[in-house]
Amino acid sequence: MAPRTTSLARRFGAATATIGIWLPIAVALSLIVFFSVATDAFMSLRNVTAISGQASTLLLASLGATFVILMGSIDLSVGAIVLLVGAITVTTVNAGGLGVSAVLVGILAGAALGAANGLVFAFGVIPSFVVTLGSLSVFTGAAWEILRGRALRFDSISFENLAIGQAVAHLPNIALWALGAWAAMVFICFKTRFGRYMYIIGGGEAVAETSGLPVKRYKVYAFAPSGGMAGLAGALAVARLGAAGPTPGTDLLLNTLAAVVVGGTSLSRGVGGVHRTLIGVLIISLLDNGLNLMGVNQYAQMIVKGAVVITAVLIGQDRGKSVVMK
Amino acid sequence: MNDGTLVLRVRDLIKSYGDNTVLDRVDIDVGRNQIVGIVGENGAGKTTLFNVLSGLVEADGGRVELNGAEIHPPDYHSATLLGISRVFQEQALIPNIAVYENIPLSHERLFARAGQLMDKRRMIETAQRIVDATGLDIDVRRRTSDYDFSKRQAIEIARACLVPQEVLGIAYPIVLLDEPTSALQKTEEAAFFDLIVQLREHGSLMFVSHRLSEVLSVSDVIYVLKDGRLVATVDPTEADERRLHGLMVGRERHADYYHEAGQLDAARRAAVFETQALTQGGAYAEVTIEVRAGEVLGIGGLIESGKSEFGKGAAGIVAPDSGTVSIDGRAPIKLDLRALMKHGLGYVPAERHAEGMIVPFTVAWNISLASGQDIFSNALGVWRGGLETSVARRYIEQLRIRTSGAGAYCVTLSGGNQQKVVLAKWLCREPKVLILDNPTRGVDAGAKEEIYRLIRDLSAKGLGIILITDELMELIGLSNRVAIMRDDRVAAIVDARVVG
Repeated sequence: MAPRTTSLARRFGAATATIGIWLPIAVALSLIVFFSVATDAFMSLRNVTAISGQASTLLLASLGATFVILMGSIDLSVGAIVLLVGAITVTTVNAGGLGVSAVLVGILAGAALGAANGLVFAFGVIPSFVVTLGSLSVFTGAAWEILRGRALRFDSISFENLAIGQAVAHLPNIALWALGAWAAMVFICFKTRFGRYMYIIGGGEAVAETSGLPVKRYKVYAFAPSGGMAGLAGALAVARLGAAGPTPGTDLLLNTLAAVVVGGTSLSRGVGGVHRTLIGVLIISLLDNGLNLMGVNQYAQMIVKGAVVITAVLIGQDRGKSVVMK
Repeated sequence: MNDGTLVLRVRDLIKSYGDNTVLDRVDIDVGRNQIVGIVGENGAGKTTLFNVLSGLVEADGGRVELNGAEIHPPDYHSATLLGISRVFQEQALIPNIAVYENIPLSHERLFARAGQLMDKRRMIETAQRIVDATGLDIDVRRRTSDYDFSKRQAIEIARACLVPQEVLGIAYPIVLLDEPTSALQKTEEAAFFDLIVQLREHGSLMFVSHRLSEVLSVSDVIYVLKDGRLVATVDPTEADERRLHGLMVGRERHADYYHEAGQLDAARRAAVFETQALTQGGAYAEVTIEVRAGEVLGIGGLIESGKSEFGKGAAGIVAPDSGTVSIDGRAPIKLDLRALMKHGLGYVPAERHAEGMIVPFTVAWNISLASGQDIFSNALGVWRGGLETSVARRYIEQLRIRTSGAGAYCVTLSGGNQQKVVLAKWLCREPKVLILDNPTRGVDAGAKEEIYRLIRDLSAKGLGIILITDELMELIGLSNRVAIMRDDRVAAIVDARVVG
């Protein structure tokens, strides 16, 4: 069968190299139309503000993870980093002295956790899903150690305003952070060496090796911003909610992965891009919010979301090439 | 040998993919106990023809008759039951089971007792009979992986030829061989041809090969395909290699195919690249060579002689255990590709798709692939997209890469043009030394000639080139000197004109 599969893969390779970006955009638009018709509350100004707040945390957390997936690996620990960094940030704010710059502590702590993932992955030569599944447990455990099962509150208006203040009317500040971070990451993705190398390692690691790319180093580099952005998401999420609680991590695990693949970044082929993750985040957030407004229960929502992720991967996958997570 | 009765009759066979017609009304006849050679450039339709005959691909039109009855095998297994079997380019034997288990693979049902239990003794007997009939010295009870590549290939060919008769009871089987000798050594080829001649007693063979001399020496009749059409039916006793080649490419082969007139006399020039006792356990040992400016140093030898591994070692991709490499006569450089690249080394791997280029990416992205660190990004790591496009355009023009532009995806390029992109990836770094491992593998004759001319042009500019190749004619035609590797070591370094 060998000759047929290769010729077919070659024939359709070009056509399926990318899912047209119009597909996720069309899905997002139809969700907006559908939920506007199905519920009264959806199109209200208040709800739009609420969606932008929820979507922003997810966008921040998904941006860095997109690079990891683009590179052909996966970061399952993003949600756990958000949780742990949230706890660290609140502790820092409560310790006093740092004020608003506790956000920086969050970013650095997240980047350090991500870099740890990357070092074990690249130099231990362990599949990334194993490394980050392990660190998911480690980070979650550490966060619960700090929180001891309760929500950790803080009392700092200026820190809170980082996320829920409205420099632009009806738009929480966290949305500005998220959009700014998105723009920066899109620039990094398309206009820098780092971005290009993510595509190359994802598209052909062996080719990268025989072309002299420092593959191992860039594998570590990819996980650090994934953690750093998750750290920023964690810090701003607690600022938005007013406390570090024990719950947000688990939701984010599926949601970040869902946002990236639904946006059209393919698992393991060097195809897609950070720009698409914005649309993926929009789809997932609209789905969450709309289903809630329609009164669909949590369990049914889980079923829907899982099915959406699998469908997105099925559509985006080049079946001529088997998917191997590195 | 041919008693005149046709086993296979192919008429007006048509197959196209979209606008691309790969088989255009092809007629072929195969007689009993006949060896039929099929030649043509890459993309001429040879493999598609085999795919149709063996049920892997459905034809769009035409007839295939086997012993007078029209057949339409829906898949490969059905084709084997009709008596058409195939030896693929890649080996299809399962290495970790015994030879006798491999031989009736997919026909085990015929050896079953009471449904599921295998009649092991009968399997062994049949397998041994098949192997003995071909004169191979093989114990079928041993593990398949105990035998080397050429033995395994012989087992596979014997299986394809004799299972139809011995196991399925088919009187006149047909065996399709796709490039059967491309991975064999010269010495093993002789044994291979003996095998083919032996097997002719048992059935008919069709075989595709790029090696025209072997096609001429064993075939009873040769069909020449070009662009999906049958352009000639040749009697091998009345043709030579040059005529076949002319028919394949549509013109006579250039008298100076390898541009030997352009070869530089590099004997007095300085060495640009030297290895000192480069050694890697189990692959190559104590390899000491030097390449002078403007020289092509060929490295020849059998497949497992260690020459490809040496290429990877000298380029620092798989670091050797010991030994040193230096460029321009300076101090030894760290045996790491990135360090060597900085001093002007480039390496083109044999496996173009696995290691040379990323085919789903664009031409421009592939050309910039090795130079992201120092040419195509600035000190802050910002990518120089404009420079990337202009460099790609320059090499598309200079190397005459046939593509719609710098932004075209490499899947749309032919093998030869893809290889030029891989070469451009290194040429844009203005290297001093290039290590080329089988640079014309899977490249059609027209593009081959262009690559040969390019190699000449590069040595005229003073590049030192190490040419590792399995093709003897290429080795002799292009090289100034040839290093022959045998059993992991350089056995001799000789002047190519002496060899030729």
